[in-house]
Amino acid sequence: MADQNPYPCGKISRRHMLHQSMGALMGGAIGTLWDQDGKLNARLPGDKKADAVIFLFMCGGVSHIDTFDPKGNKHAGKLIDAIGFGDNVAEMKRPVIPCLRTFKNYGQSGTPVSDWFPNVGGVIDDIAVVRSMWCNEGNHFPAVIETQTGHRGRAFDNPSFGSWVSYALGSGNKNLPTYVNVGRPSSPVQLTGGYLGAAYAATPFQAGPVPIPNLKPPASSNAVERDKQMETLALLNREFRERHALDTDIAARIGSYELAARMQLSAPGIVDLSKEPQHVLNLYGIGEKPTDEFGRQLLMARRLVENGVRFVQICHAGGGNGSWDAHGDMKTHEPLCRAVDKPIAGLIQDLKQRGMLQRTLVVFTSEFGRSPWSQNTTGRDHNPKGYSSWLAGGGIKGGTVHGATDEYGYKAVENPHYYSDLHATILKQMGLDHKKMKFRALGRNFHLVEEGYGPIEQIIA
Amino acid sequence: MRFTIKVLAISLVAIGFIAYAFGLSTMPTVSAQKPKMPVTPSLEDFPELWSLKPVVRPAVPAAPAGTNPIDAFVQALYVAKKVTPVGPSDQRTLLRRVYLDLIGIPPTPAEQNAYLNDKSPDAYEKLIDRLLASEQYGVRYGRHWLDVLRYADAEERMYAAPGIHYWRDWVVNAVNSDVPYDQFVRAQLTGYRTTERTTMQNVGRRTPLERRPDDLFALGFLARGAVNRDSKDLGELQISAVETVSTAFMGMTVGCAKCHDHMFDPIRQKDFYAMKALFDPLVIKKQTLATPAEMVASGKQFGEYDKLRAPIEKTIANLIEPYRAKLYADRVGMLPTEIQVVINKAEKQRTLAEQKIADDYFPVLRLDPEKIEEVMSEADKKTYKDLRAQLNKLGANRVKELPAFWTVETDHALELEKSYILTSGDPERPEQNHPVEPGWPFDPSKKDFREGRIEAFSDWLTAKENPLFARVAVNRLWQWHFGEGLQKTPSDYGFLGGTPASQPLLDWLAAEFIVRGYSQKAMHKLMLTSNVYRLASSGDKEVVKKNLEADPLQRFLWSFRLQRLEAEPIWDSILTAAGNLDTSLGGTSFDIEARTPRGRGGPAMGEAMAEAKTNRRGAYIIRGFSTSREVVPNFLQSFDVDDGRAPCPVRTQTVTAPQGLFMMNSPEIEKAATMFAERIKKESADDLSKAVELGYRIALGRPPSVGEKENALTYVGADPNRLKNLAWLIFNLDEFIYIQ
Repeated sequence: MADQNPYPCGKISRRHMLHQSMGALMGGAIGTLWDQDGKLNARLPGDKKADAVIFLFMCGGVSHIDTFDPKGNKHAGKLIDAIGFGDNVAEMKRPVIPCLRTFKNYGQSGTPVSDWFPNVGGVIDDIAVVRSMWCNEGNHFPAVIETQTGHRGRAFDNPSFGSWVSYALGSGNKNLPTYVNVGRPSSPVQLTGGYLGAAYAATPFQAGPVPIPNLKPPASSNAVERDKQMETLALLNREFRERHALDTDIAARIGSYELAARMQLSAPGIVDLSKEPQHVLNLYGIGEKPTDEFGRQLLMARRLVENGVRFVQICHAGGGNGSWDAHGDMKTHEPLCRAVDKPIAGLIQDLKQRGMLQRTLVVFTSEFGRSPWSQNTTGRDHNPKGYSSWLAGGGIKGGTVHGATDEYGYKAVENPHYYSDLHATILKQMGLDHKKMKFRALGRNFHLVEEGYGPIEQIIA
Repeated sequence: MRFTIKVLAISLVAIGFIAYAFGLSTMPTVSAQKPKMPVTPSLEDFPELWSLKPVVRPAVPAAPAGTNPIDAFVQALYVAKKVTPVGPSDQRTLLRRVYLDLIGIPPTPAEQNAYLNDKSPDAYEKLIDRLLASEQYGVRYGRHWLDVLRYADAEERMYAAPGIHYWRDWVVNAVNSDVPYDQFVRAQLTGYRTTERTTMQNVGRRTPLERRPDDLFALGFLARGAVNRDSKDLGELQISAVETVSTAFMGMTVGCAKCHDHMFDPIRQKDFYAMKALFDPLVIKKQTLATPAEMVASGKQFGEYDKLRAPIEKTIANLIEPYRAKLYADRVGMLPTEIQVVINKAEKQRTLAEQKIADDYFPVLRLDPEKIEEVMSEADKKTYKDLRAQLNKLGANRVKELPAFWTVETDHALELEKSYILTSGDPERPEQNHPVEPGWPFDPSKKDFREGRIEAFSDWLTAKENPLFARVAVNRLWQWHFGEGLQKTPSDYGFLGGTPASQPLLDWLAAEFIVRGYSQKAMHKLMLTSNVYRLASSGDKEVVKKNLEADPLQRFLWSFRLQRLEAEPIWDSILTAAGNLDTSLGGTSFDIEARTPRGRGGPAMGEAMAEAKTNRRGAYIIRGFSTSREVVPNFLQSFDVDDGRAPCPVRTQTVTAPQGLFMMNSPEIEKAATMFAERIKKESADDLSKAVELGYRIALGRPPSVGEKENALTYVGADPNRLKNLAWLIFNLDEFIYIQ
């Protein structure tokens, strides 16, 4: 019988698979847990294109129709019946609502972007838009699980995408976590290390002004004393750790304390943005009210990536269904777009100026898109059948538009890509073979990618 | 009562997945898989599910006289699974385990001595009795239940937020007074503990019995679910009720059937909405908790306030009306001409078909106040805003809010309305072609709703014959004691939940729970006096390795599971060591971090009322959710406490660097270490060796080993001021936050 996850609808357990990790984690756990090298022999031949990913996850579902996939208003106002699309159980008349955005063709490529993303439009020649993403699940929690883990449901403790990358590549800087999450996710599954183990889970940073609480030791302590304390701590922990040497939790705890201690030294400098010159702060919209918070997160992401963090996931407007979940009125997208547009464009420009863009993959996505129709409101419903994600940097062919939805913006019809193809694409750019992202536990191979066509070659430079 | 599981829609994909989940097929290979859009379900008979079969009390396996029946079952399990139990735990470890398990607070050195010096044969039993009688037990186990019942102090615009803590107090009190579990559940569903809810009057009329006054607060369980999102009430009360009731009391994830037929279990979408229909007539109701004098005084304030308000409101109405009328006309004007004709007809003039069209378009034409404000002229908007501000100002000053509790009641007018399937999960989109009758899954019998829908459901749910009710409950108790349930997925007894580690044991416990009148305390004692509970958490390495080979997931009870403490007992242990834990019960939650709600002038509607007092038990720390601010303090978040939006059947046990940083650097630890050091310094009269010993005994429930004491003393040197650093060290020991 396989490992049963106690959380059927999205919760996680990181304590499991004790058996398989026994060999790896016994004894000198620190060395193996925070190894510089990856744990998977999944390297593709040749050099990898990207060293790091900044994964921007807009919680709740961005409307592709109002941002990167213009559809015109040919059908606006019609009451249509979703049964006509062949996948609705019950009859339901829903009004197609007009898209109130204006689109402009940006850059050399002339890729259309709506007036909600003028700044991203400005860097569109670095971006490849995939307009034909799809997944199965039509509700937030299940869709987040599916897009994050590549699997539907939590029957198995499948790890999040970032932890796979972290597991496969290992750390680039042992003083920092390999996989960082910033901001509140929609579901703890977005952070889970799953059966790969707690050591590969995301280290959560907070969204607010203090990204890592308690990073600074209290005024009463000093570095020399702390060193002595850490040494004594190891001595005093010894009997307990010997007694429970076979437990992965204890092994991971050793690693987490080591990391915490090292983060105290290295992280304050990295999360401190005060040394950044004003023109860089301006680029991210830091200091301007609508963009300040997200701008800070993205600037911190750049600094983390600069310092060897492999995977920075930024969950925007998360918690619950996510604030991008615009059922009531599409206007609720407006402040969110304003909050992220300038910082994202700033990040891409900043990375480019530093020569980092070619080695850093920036990904913009949601769990799903939004429907052409409303639920008798001025907002849009969920739509997993067709939506847009985009990628920039890291060897991606900028100025590309790939795939298409139908004339309503409902279903991906041209070059449809299951969400796992996005994972496969990112992996390829990081020099990893998506077919080799597997993990053996309980006598069975688990794969990250089980469906799809593999990397989206058309958008790779 | 028969539980049939016949008709079920199941897709081919699901069959494949189930086969896979049961290990019947191999993993699909990667390369050839093409993505498949979901297949429309087809009807198919479903295999029988173990958990839906009646509980038949199994015979206890043969064992020497005096053996706890649990151990007899466990022995049989060892034989069947070829595992060898490690030895029993030592007394001190066991003592700390029992304290942290039952009351969530570690034993004091005096309590340790008392227990270890008690040589009577029933010393251990007396210990359990004493702890079960302590009101701190209710705080610990009440908190467990509140996880399952999704307690939160705030959730966006949660109507019941003010006063929701009275429900928490009710749960804690109920657990403390060992209210039988069936009554515990019935009270929270119906406000009545028994199935007798009415009485026949002399005049031949049936009238409701009077409720126990305090059981009003039990209904906070249902009222908690009412949440207003985007200024709309989208039927969260009903949806939350189905999701919580089905997972908490039935162990079935009916919630997944909200949007589609459940892929893996015999639950259809219809079942979800049938259950929802049970709760459809329910509305929330504000119940003022004030003395008559307070109510009279408040009434006077209202009268004065009304006098001031009326003229302003009239002015506002006059100001708005032309805009509203124009906006409506504009909206109508945007529709196709033939529709306009229909809409502009008076309702009585429309044919049935025309009325259908008008109904379809009604939501499109609905006008919210914000929309009106958008089209106002700048001058009028300013006037409007000024008037609104005047109104607000009047309100803030004139009327003092009386303390209140939100409860639920049945609206009999709503009982007459039909319920529908909502594939979208959205109550604003009923599928008029798919009406459902109120009901519940696994019971095909004709329902009798004469005493009310929820009442009928509650009687079925809590009946002895219900195979899920007792099984689910005893398994939770087992999980809270042993760290993992016999059924590993405590809220999922469906196909993906798998089978229990020992079904005979689970069934025997369920049967015993019923025999013992659903007494949770009786079950606690039964479980804690078993030998399996008293096993060590580690043992001979060779034995452990061999066991792990046979049982990699450690399901078969050959050792006590090493568990990281949850956030609350960590908090309580820190404050206990500091000698600073306030163990008082009840009242509002408190916030660890000094934060003020974002709204102007105090908490907005739905915001929790949290005090700033910070040394109460961790169970009273605020939790909840808001889109605009963090509600759950960082400490709880980093130690895996949920925000309470959904039932949480199992706490995660993550291991992260931020946890380490909290224990190393937080102001809470800094303060507690100072107090802890002062305490041991004082109590040991500056004898450092004694101080080290005391520190260990207070925080870990044991004296240090020779080596530990030596290392600790070497570290402290001869400087009593360094005891604070030692206190810090003890807080940061692995052992401090683990139960062995």
